[in-house]
Amino acid sequence: MSQKFRIARAAELESLGVLRDFIHDQCARAGIDDATTYELKLAADEACTNIITHGYAQMNPGSLILDLEIDAHQVVLRITDFGHPFEPSEPIAPDVQAALDDQPTSGFGLFFIYSVMDAVDYRATEEGNCLMLTKRRAPKVVPV
Amino acid sequence: MATKIVSKEYKRVDLVEISGRIDSSTAPQLEQTLNKVIKDGRFHIVVDMADMDFMSSAGLRALLSALKQVRRFNRGDLRLAAMSSKVKKAFELAGLLDVFQVFDNSVDAVGSF
Repeated sequence: MSQKFRIARAAELESLGVLRDFIHDQCARAGIDDATTYELKLAADEACTNIITHGYAQMNPGSLILDLEIDAHQVVLRITDFGHPFEPSEPIAPDVQAALDDQPTSGFGLFFIYSVMDAVDYRATEEGNCLMLTKRRAPKVVPV
Repeated sequence: MATKIVSKEYKRVDLVEISGRIDSSTAPQLEQTLNKVIKDGRFHIVVDMADMDFMSSAGLRALLSALKQVRRFNRGDLRLAAMSSKVKKAFELAGLLDVFQVFDNSVDAVGSF
């Protein structure tokens, strides 16, 4: 049996803290370990930042809807928006040396999403754009 | 916890203490603080993360940008202290642990200059 939670907020950078708090609180309630929760918050933060800054670029800020579904094996986070479709493609590792040599420093956000999640899926439909992030739960350690 | 960034000027080093979270909405605050220290001609900086509980890529970019400025002409360095294991993992993934000097606490980081 899975537990489902939802939050909707304006697609503004000021909403990021509330969205992370939502993930934190629901994961804590469901007994998800701290490391997994942090990685979900990091991936969600990076994805929502991309949606706010690119997906809703040159538009009035619309909505960001987070649906969190937790079962015994995994946590699935669906992020829905109604901005320009912005499909995150799997990035290569950011070139830190290039960043230090005065090249533009970018690419960390997408890199983090793909590095810390087990699966990333994106669908753009008439009902909105949906980014699905899946993270497997860490197995419980049973004392011997 | 509201994000708070405080800089303290010592004789040889400036200590920038972060409490709370650094994301795209608060990273400009970190950038401004670091830029002010650098603009004042102070290039030995320690960033204390003991009370920081979250940092996204926006924070990493702010730190990298400051690192780039202080290392120019070999005039200084920006060193990190008291990073939590979760934040450390993000630095590790991005390959930044090879770029920054990281210390267990701010006393050691300040003493390293």
